[in-house]
Amino acid sequence: MRHDTWLDALAGELRRHGVAPETAGNVLAETAAHLWESGDDPVRAFGPPQAYAATVADSVRADLPRRAQAGPVRLEVDGITKRYGRRTVLREVSLSVRAGEVAAVVGANGSGKSTFLGICAGLVSPDRGEVRVHGSLGYCPQGGGTSDFLVPDEHFVLVGAGRGMSRADARDTGRAGAAALDWDPRDGTQARHLSGGTRQKLNLVMAGLGDPDVLLLDEPYQGFDQGSYLDFWQQVRRWRDSGKAIVVVTHLLNTRDGVDIVLDLGKRREERA
Amino acid sequence: MRKTFTVAETALREIARRRGVLAILVLFPLAFYLSRRDSHLGQSIRFVCLGLGWALSTAALFAGSAARSIEPRLRLSGYRGHHLYLGRLVALWTVGLLLAAPYYVLIRIDTDGVRYGAIGLIMVLTVAVAAPFGLALSAALPRELEGMLVLLIIVGLQMMMDPADSASRLLPFWFSREIGTYAVDHTDGGYLTRGLLHAVVCLAALLAVVAIASGYRLRQRSHLRFVARR
Repeated sequence: MRHDTWLDALAGELRRHGVAPETAGNVLAETAAHLWESGDDPVRAFGPPQAYAATVADSVRADLPRRAQAGPVRLEVDGITKRYGRRTVLREVSLSVRAGEVAAVVGANGSGKSTFLGICAGLVSPDRGEVRVHGSLGYCPQGGGTSDFLVPDEHFVLVGAGRGMSRADARDTGRAGAAALDWDPRDGTQARHLSGGTRQKLNLVMAGLGDPDVLLLDEPYQGFDQGSYLDFWQQVRRWRDSGKAIVVVTHLLNTRDGVDIVLDLGKRREERA
Repeated sequence: MRKTFTVAETALREIARRRGVLAILVLFPLAFYLSRRDSHLGQSIRFVCLGLGWALSTAALFAGSAARSIEPRLRLSGYRGHHLYLGRLVALWTVGLLLAAPYYVLIRIDTDGVRYGAIGLIMVLTVAVAAPFGLALSAALPRELEGMLVLLIIVGLQMMMDPADSASRLLPFWFSREIGTYAVDHTDGGYLTRGLLHAVVCLAALLAVVAIASGYRLRQRSHLRFVARR
């Protein structure tokens, strides 16, 4: 692989892993200098750019100072119990998420992760318990949630109008959110023609429109490739750093994702990082 | 108001992009009109109105079913139930009037000696009733196939039942026959009054069903409380 191509790919991957621009610049300069001096093939010397960027990101993140303390409570879930017929899916589940925190809801298939999020969003009624949301709510469903015959900009305008945003503001904010996920929605493709992963990006951008205080994301990365998956967690970190409380239903929890709270519905307990 | 118009605009865009469906919607009443054109003048007019009502009800049924997956998230994004169903109704009524206009012109050109104003009134009332009728069916029967079969039965009954039978007054487009008789056979104003009353009652009842179903499905559940930000 040519040096320039490999270095460009490395730059993109470092950005996806959330490596600070200054640090990424230093890494790129050092790597380029080594390659020019040695004349080595970059793949042979450093491996694929994705893998090298992940290694660099891990080593850099270990040196990062702890983030500022979380803010006030934004989402309070108290003693939720849900039964379907005789089967109890959720029993006395509680969770508290503050501004600037990310909670991951994990558990095996059928453990009630999506039901739990649906209850938090007020789409499903529990048999017992209550949910308090301090502020506004954004929700990204696991599937659906888009309209087949509308283009992405029209989705942004539709959701934005509900949030009180102007057309231009909703469209610009939506496009900026899409760009953060490495997606350009301006070509006007109707949602029915988008790939599964791109459709989920649309879903995710819609959830973040209007700056909600609490974001509920139900496995939003379905159909994402590895790069988009990293972009997604990068976006989650940006939301967290801007003071949002985020709950992500996931079964792909990676140690690098850096969540603050893990609610394991299999074990029915909450752990704080 | 802005939220309702945004929903109406996007619903219109969705319908406009279903070109195949639009073509069928446009031609559907024509087939009804031509099927009875040689028999009796009143029958062809009655059938074109029924075709119009059937076509628009079907479009409303599918529009209502297609919206089910996005409406909960729109509710969470700040819309109320009435923004959503009123927006969709405005879009469907617009499509219905655009659909009816060429048929009104056709009747003006193709027939003589009828009360054109009353025929225009039948078409407007048919459009007004058909849109909430389709939405009410989609609310009551979430699966499209079931909704479609019920629609087929109701419109089939509308064509076959004797309009003089009191049971036929329970059908949503009964008024078209009454006002049609007034328009074609130049009967007294009683037909017009009965037809108008029936249409208004049907419209009110169907709007109530749509509003109640939407309010129930998109209600804020009692376990969830929104508290002001600290």
